[in-house]
Amino acid sequence: MRIFDPHIHMTSRTTDDYEAMAAAGIVAIVEPAFWLGQPRTTVGSFVDYFNSLVGWERFRASQFGIRHFCTMGLNPKESNNPRLTDEVLALLPRFLDKDGVVAIGEIGFDDQTDAEERSFARQVELARDFNLPVLIHTPHRDKKQGTIRSIEVIRSVGFPEERVLIDHNNEETLPIVLASRCWAGHTIYPNTKMDEQRMAALVQKYGSDRIVVNSAADWGISDPLKVPKTIAVMRAHGVPDATIQKIVWDNPVAFFAQSGRLDLTDIDTCAAVDRSQKFETNSVLRGEQVGR
Amino acid sequence: MLLLSVVRARAGDAAADWAGRAAATESVDAFCNAYTAAPKHVGRAPLALAESELSHLMAAAPDLRCDRWTVDDAARAVLLLSAAQRNDAKGAEAFVRLAIECYERGDAREQQSWLRAISLLPQPDRFTAVAVDACRTNIIPLFEAIACENPYPARHFPERQFNQLVLKALFNSIALARVVGLSTRVNPDLSRMARDYAAERRAAARPVPSDIAMAMIDDARQELTR
Repeated sequence: MRIFDPHIHMTSRTTDDYEAMAAAGIVAIVEPAFWLGQPRTTVGSFVDYFNSLVGWERFRASQFGIRHFCTMGLNPKESNNPRLTDEVLALLPRFLDKDGVVAIGEIGFDDQTDAEERSFARQVELARDFNLPVLIHTPHRDKKQGTIRSIEVIRSVGFPEERVLIDHNNEETLPIVLASRCWAGHTIYPNTKMDEQRMAALVQKYGSDRIVVNSAADWGISDPLKVPKTIAVMRAHGVPDATIQKIVWDNPVAFFAQSGRLDLTDIDTCAAVDRSQKFETNSVLRGEQVGR
Repeated sequence: MLLLSVVRARAGDAAADWAGRAAATESVDAFCNAYTAAPKHVGRAPLALAESELSHLMAAAPDLRCDRWTVDDAARAVLLLSAAQRNDAKGAEAFVRLAIECYERGDAREQQSWLRAISLLPQPDRFTAVAVDACRTNIIPLFEAIACENPYPARHFPERQFNQLVLKALFNSIALARVVGLSTRVNPDLSRMARDYAAERRAAARPVPSDIAMAMIDDARQELTR
């Protein structure tokens, strides 16, 4: 089964992860712009980060046969820095028209401050201007309230809900999202957020419409193989393959295709990977290794 | 200064004299470099205050808890307090700039020292924005430096930010007993957030923190046990 991981921070992962993901059937991913664990203090850090998402990281993924797309945005946590927010939001239009940028995100709430809400709403307006869908991060703390407020922001801007993916849902927030016309993402994590068994139970209860799952693997304890692992658990629970395929391929493809920039041409006949290719004189090869 | 004598008693005269000299600098760079270098001069041993020292400190700062402080934390507090005294005489803005610069240049351990000491600084509410932002860290010891054994949040944080701090403590399995002044700041919104968190944990078949009722006002506590 072809697998699409619609939320994974590959910048933090190794080539071993790329190898394992490709071997498990992951052929396309979306890497949302997020924070790096350490607060950035100047806009220049964002210029370089955004460039790496559409440059080096996409190239690195391609060297393992994986199609890499990304979302651009200022995350909620760093939206609490007012100077940085103004500068990064002014910078964003430079990146929003780039190939492979399939949404604005991840934006939303962290502490649920007024500053976060302003940055969130301004970026939803940017998404409208650039005709892009929106990927929303829901907060770790006070998640239910944060989810309700996120939908309120979308409605206050008058942004079409079917172009919004609300991520990191749990048992408490999924019914709220499904009651809107937004899509519902689920992050399968080793310890926090959602796990495979609970996800299978949610699919059995709510079905597969507008539901996607992701690994959100990043610099914290996380697992880039959580989507294939969730497939295995759903199968063990008797979820039909057609339903699973809808969740791990058809749905994320349908959602991000709304950007008009999800180019999956030749995804099935992906040419043999040539690792001697270079990106600005760099390849993923080291020393004596030989490209396949 | 009480803290300087505490440093002297542990690190010796040479180290205490260094702290005195370092604190007298007019240069932001030299000040921040000294702040970084403090452990090299005074070490990193636990502060382990004696009974008499503790009672003196309690008289000056009744709800400060220094149990987890190390000698370099105390030396860094001496640097900041000395700079505050000197600069505030010439105009408070200079000290605010210096203190914030010192925080922003700090590594995680320096920022911990800084946060532990801010309740001792004159007009500490000048630093609320920095302290609130510090809570956004994912580095748990750094979060603990402001959230735990520290009277600052209960005294100076707006309600919404205080509530987020308490919820983050719960989320990271930090005992709420460590949040100084929590009982004086519980409020209906925090109760609601704690109740929602308990519901979310139960729905995920995960344990609810055993001390979560400390974040609730009485009505909500009864509901929790019902």
